[in-house]
Amino acid sequence: MAKDAFGAKVKEKVNWPVTILLLIGLITIIFPLYMAVVIAFKDPSEMTNDIAGILSLPSSWSLDNFIEAIQVTDFFNSFLNSLIITVVAVVISVLVHSIAAYAIGRNMDSKKLFKWSYYFIVAGMYVPFAILMMPLVKQTAILHLDNMVGVMILYVVFYMPMNMMLYTGYLRNIPIALEEAARVDGASTWTTYWKVIFPLMKPMHATVAVLTGLAVWNDVMTPLVIMGGQGVNTLPLAQMSFQTAFSTNYNLAFASYLLAMLPMIIFYVFAQKQIINGVTNGAVK
Amino acid sequence: MLNKPISRRSLLGLGAAAAASTMLPGCSDGRSDGKTEVEVVCYKQEAVSIFEKLAEEFNATHDDIYLNFTCPADAVTIMKTRFVREDYPDVIGIGADGDYASFTDSEIFADVSDCPTMDEVQDAYKEIQKSVTYVPLDGYYAVPYVANAAGMLYNVDMFNEHGWDIPQTWDELIDLCKQIQSEGEVLPFYLGYLDTWTILSPWNSITTNLVPSDLARQVNAGEAKFADYYRRPAEMMLEMLDYAEEGPFAYSYNDACTAFARGQAAMYPCGSFAVPQIKSVNPDMNVGLFPMPSADNPDDRIVVSGIDLQWCVSKTCDHIDAVYEVIKFLSEPENVQTYIDDQNAIPCLDGNFDIPELFDGVQENLDNGKLLDYLDHTYPSAMACDAQLQTMLLSGDIDAFLSKWDTDWQRYNRSVIRKVEAYEEQQ
Amino acid sequence: MANLAKAKVGSDRNRTFLLILIPVLILFVAFNTFPLLTGVFYSFTDSKGYGAFNMVGLQNYIDLFGDARVGNSYLFTFKVAVVSTLITNVISLVLAMGLNSKIKFKSAFRALYFVPQILGALVVGYVFSYFFTYIVPALTGTGSILASTEWAWVAIVVVCCWQSIAQTTIIYITGLQSVPEDVYEAGNLDGATGWNLFRYITFPLIMPSVTTNMVLVMKNMLMVFDQIVAMTSGGPAQSTESISYLIYNNGLSGGQFGFQCANAVIFFILIAVISVAQTKFLNSREEQL
Repeated sequence: MAKDAFGAKVKEKVNWPVTILLLIGLITIIFPLYMAVVIAFKDPSEMTNDIAGILSLPSSWSLDNFIEAIQVTDFFNSFLNSLIITVVAVVISVLVHSIAAYAIGRNMDSKKLFKWSYYFIVAGMYVPFAILMMPLVKQTAILHLDNMVGVMILYVVFYMPMNMMLYTGYLRNIPIALEEAARVDGASTWTTYWKVIFPLMKPMHATVAVLTGLAVWNDVMTPLVIMGGQGVNTLPLAQMSFQTAFSTNYNLAFASYLLAMLPMIIFYVFAQKQIINGVTNGAVK
Repeated sequence: MLNKPISRRSLLGLGAAAAASTMLPGCSDGRSDGKTEVEVVCYKQEAVSIFEKLAEEFNATHDDIYLNFTCPADAVTIMKTRFVREDYPDVIGIGADGDYASFTDSEIFADVSDCPTMDEVQDAYKEIQKSVTYVPLDGYYAVPYVANAAGMLYNVDMFNEHGWDIPQTWDELIDLCKQIQSEGEVLPFYLGYLDTWTILSPWNSITTNLVPSDLARQVNAGEAKFADYYRRPAEMMLEMLDYAEEGPFAYSYNDACTAFARGQAAMYPCGSFAVPQIKSVNPDMNVGLFPMPSADNPDDRIVVSGIDLQWCVSKTCDHIDAVYEVIKFLSEPENVQTYIDDQNAIPCLDGNFDIPELFDGVQENLDNGKLLDYLDHTYPSAMACDAQLQTMLLSGDIDAFLSKWDTDWQRYNRSVIRKVEAYEEQQ
Repeated sequence: MANLAKAKVGSDRNRTFLLILIPVLILFVAFNTFPLLTGVFYSFTDSKGYGAFNMVGLQNYIDLFGDARVGNSYLFTFKVAVVSTLITNVISLVLAMGLNSKIKFKSAFRALYFVPQILGALVVGYVFSYFFTYIVPALTGTGSILASTEWAWVAIVVVCCWQSIAQTTIIYITGLQSVPEDVYEAGNLDGATGWNLFRYITFPLIMPSVTTNMVLVMKNMLMVFDQIVAMTSGGPAQSTESISYLIYNNGLSGGQFGFQCANAVIFFILIAVISVAQTKFLNSREEQL
C-alpha cells in the first residue's frame, strides 16, 4: 500500500469498518467463484445432487479438465480471434464514440439536429437484437461482411448508444471554459478535442473500454449468426461445444470459463489504474 | 486538415480488415484439385469425432469427391442463417423434427426418393418421416440414418437385485411404484420437471398408446378435438407425481440424470438420448429401457422412436450423384455400426446390426416395427406445449388444460391449418 | 491552419462537428436503423425468418393485443425491471462509495467485485439454480422458489441484480472519481459531514452517472433473457417469460418470426418512450459545471 500511486493520500487513515463490511460482502462473490473452481477440477462422476457433495473439494487437483478444455476449444486460436475482435472493437469504439459524443454533447443544447441525433442513437439501444438478427445476417452476407470484420463493425454500432450516453454524461463534468481557453489560443476544434478533451476523458475511456470489451468478449450471438459454422471460432463460440442437446459437460465448461475469465480480470485491473491515474492527472490541470 | 479524421479512421478500418481477412479461410467454391466438394452440415455435435474419422476415410478412398463434414455447435441456428444468406450446404443432417417440418415447408430440400440408399430404409422409419411434415408429401425428403427411442429408463441391476418385474400394464406400474415406495430405499421416479422439455418425454410415451396416431392431422382438418383424447394421459401424468421426489418442478434434467445415475431412483421416464448424460455421472451403470405400459392391452404397447439423424439434400445442389455416393458410404453397415455403438442409437436401415444392450427391452417393438414418432414433433414449438403440461401438473386442473390446448392449437397452427385446408381441397 | 481558424472560427467549428456527426450517423443507420426497418417490414408478414413468406397486413398486431401470453410477459418484465433497477442502483452506489473510500486491499476488492460481470451465463445459471434448489430450502425449510409460480420472479431479480451490480458500480466509481477533490474540501470547511455531504454535495455532482445507470440498468433489465434461459426457461407454468425470451424463443426457434417482429416493434416503441421520459426527468436534475 505504501507504494500506491496516491502519493500523499497514503498517509490517511485506513477506513477499517468499510473494509470489513466489504470483506463480508465478498461472500456473495467468493461462494459462486468457489463453486465454479471446485466444479472445474472435478470429474463428471464426482457430480452429486446434494449440498455436501457439491461443496466438497475435488478428489484430486489435476489439471486434466483445463488441458482437455484447451484442446476441445482449440483455445489458442479461439482466444486469438476473440482478442482481435475485442481489441479492434474497443479501440474503434473509444475513438469514434468519444468524438461523436463530443460533437453531439457540445451541441445538443443549442442545435436541434444534434439533439435529435442523440435521441436517435440512444434509442437504438432499445432495439431487441432478435429483430435485427435475421436482417443483419442477410445484409452482412450481401456486403461480404459475414466474417470477423463484419462482427467488429456491428459491435461498434451496437455499443454506440450506451457509450454515447456514458460520454455525453461525462462531458457535462468537463467545464466548457477549458475549451474556450484553447480556442482563444487559436487551436482548431479538432486540435482542441485531441489535446484537451480527449485526455480529460481518460477515466471514461477506461470505463467504456471495460464495459464494451467485456460485452464483446462474452458475446456469443453475434459471431454465431454472422460467422458461425465457417470454422473460425471465438472463445464463446468454441465453448458452446460443451453443451449438446441432451448433455452438458459442466466440468470442462467451467474450466474453460475460468480460463476465459482471467484475461478480462487482468485487463480490468489495468483499466482501473487508468481511471484513478486519469483523475489525478486531471486534478493537476 | 479537415479530412484527417476520416482518412485516419478509414486507414484503421482497412488495417483491421486486412489483418482479419488473412485469418479467414479462402472461399471454398471451386476446388483447385478438380474434385467435387460435398459439404455436409450435421447437428449431431456429440458425434463429431466419428464423422471426422469417416470423412477422412472417405477422402482417402475417393479421388473425385472431397467430403467436407462439419458438426458446428448450435447447428440449427447456423443452418437457418445460411438459408437466409441463400448459401445452402449440399447435405443437412438433422432429425425428423419440427425444424425438419419447417425446412421442408420452406421447400429447401430435394426429393431423394431416387437415392439408392432409400431402398435399405426400414418401412417403419419411412412412415415416421412421413408423419412429421405438416401435410403428407409425395416422395421422401431425407434419407433416415439412425433413430432414438423413449419409454421408461430403468436401473437394470437394481431391478434384478430386488426381483422387480418389468410392468406390462399401467396398474402393474403403479403397483411396482407402491412396492418400491414401501421398501423405502429408493424413489420409483426422479423427475426433472424444472426443464419443461423433459415433461414431454413421459407425455409422448404415455399418450402414443392412447390416441390415434394421426390425431394432430385430424384436428387440423377439423375432424377431432384434443380434449376427447388427452384426459386419460393427463391423469396418468398427474398420478406419476405421487411416486416421484418432493417438488419435482424445482429439479432440472441434470439433477434427475444425476439422481438416477446415483441409484436414488429406480426408473426415469425419458429416452435413449439421456443415457450419455447419465453415464457421465456413473459410467458403469447398467441402464435398460422398457415400453411405457399405458396401453390397455400390453400387446399393443408402442415404443416412441424418432429419427434422430437423417440426410436432407438441398434443392440447389447440382452434384447429386456425389452426394448419393457420400450417403451410400455413411450407410455402409460397418460405418452405421460404429455410430450406433458409440451413440447408443438404433439404425433406420435394414441389416444385421448389433443393437446396443440398452434397447434389449424394446427389441420386440423394433423387430416388428411397433414404433411411432414423438407426438411433440407435430406440436408447434411457439405454443409451448411443454409449459402447458407443466402448468397442468402444477395446478392439477385438467379441464383448463384441455380447453386451453384446443384453443391455442387453433391459434398457433393457423398457417398449418390453412395449408391443410388447401391440401384437402386439392385432393 | 491557424489563419483559417481565426478567419471563420464559428462556421469552421460547425463544419467539423457536422463532419464528425454525419459518418457516424451513416454507420449507425446502415447497421441499426436499416435492419430495424427490415424487421418492421417482416412484422407485416408470416415469415419464419428464412424461406418464403406471405404478407398478412396488420394480422400480427391484432393478434398481439389479444394474446394473453404476450400480455403476461409485459407484466412480468416490467415488474422485474423496476424492482431490479432500484435494488441494483442503491447497492451499486453504496458499493461504489465503499470501494472509493480509504480501504485496504482496494485493487483486490475492485477486481473481485467485478467478477459477476465476467462469469458466463452457464456458470451463473448453474450456481444460482443450485443455490435456490438446494441451499436456500435447506436453510429455510421451505420449497425451492424456482418451483413457485408466485416467487420464481424473485430468483430472477436476485440473479439479475447480482450480475449487473458490477457494471453499475464501475460507472458510479467513474462518476465519483470525476468529482474534484476540492469540492469535498470546501464542503468539509463548511462543516458538511456524512449524510449531508452526500446529500448536498456528492449526489448532485454524480447525477449524470445516476441518470446513465438508471437508464442503462433499466434497459438491460427490460431485455432480460440470458438469466431466464439459465434459471427457469420461462417456468414454472410460464410465470417467468420475459418479452425478450418470447421474441427470441418463438421468433427464431419457434417459427413465429413475423409475429415476434411485431412484438419487438411495439416493445421498442414502448421502452424508447419510457426512457426518453426517464432521461428528461433525470436530466432536469443535473447541473453543468
